[in-house]
Amino acid sequence: MHKKILVTDDAAFMRVMLKGILIPEKYAVIEAVNGQEALEQYASHQPDLVFMDITMPVMDGITALKAIRAKFPNACLVMCTAMGQQNMVIEAIKAGAKDFIVKPFQAERVLECVKKFVH
Amino acid sequence: MGTTSVSVEYINPFVTASFAVMSMMFNEAPTKGALSALPDSFTSQQVNVVVGITGDISGMVILGMSLTTADRIASMMIGQPIKVFDYLASSAVAELGNMICGNGLLQISEGGHICDLTPPTVIRGTNVEISTLAVPAIVVPLKLSLGEVTVTVGLRGNK
Repeated sequence: MHKKILVTDDAAFMRVMLKGILIPEKYAVIEAVNGQEALEQYASHQPDLVFMDITMPVMDGITALKAIRAKFPNACLVMCTAMGQQNMVIEAIKAGAKDFIVKPFQAERVLECVKKFVH
Repeated sequence: MGTTSVSVEYINPFVTASFAVMSMMFNEAPTKGALSALPDSFTSQQVNVVVGITGDISGMVILGMSLTTADRIASMMIGQPIKVFDYLASSAVAELGNMICGNGLLQISEGGHICDLTPPTVIRGTNVEISTLAVPAIVVPLKLSLGEVTVTVGLRGNK
């Protein structure tokens, strides 16, 4: 059975880009366009890993990270950040994020992250 | 027209960031054209990505390009040719603006300025007047094989 990865980003392009990296590697990808939707998708699918953007409408990535970790303490989340958001990354790591990747992503870095956390 | 000058300290990080991000995304370093100054109000190009900067420095950074260039850039970023400049293509060029400004802001923060980005807005249409609200803007044209992208920086210090 394919491992499930939840990709959360309000930018359609970023979701397409991550899907383009993950699907050929045989991961099942679920999508969410904001933190609130990620929370709902996480509860429904219990994915093996979540890529979570930070700046999003409705519910930002850090709020969603905290909400998911509060309900699912073993949840594995990796933050997707633009450069210049280092303070938010630190806050996210303190709140339980396992790692972060910086946009623009390189496929190798994304897959390295996945292989580190998804077995 | 505003009288405030735009500090090189605020422009260079976005030019450097544009070079870094474009080189990585397109496997090609752009060529920088001649800089020019614009008044605080100017008309748009066919496709414009506007990113606001708030905090110790405020204003906006605008990436401007023709629709043909935007199509080519979006196709390159998505990894497949786009037939029409749709929501996905718009999201791709918006993300290019986001990455450039995020990278630029990181460099600005190293100079001790604390700033934040607003989510990028894509404006299409050549007859749109954009105002940087009394902040003169500097335009840096960057040439790629995909076409020309102008980086317009209109920022002022608030400290």
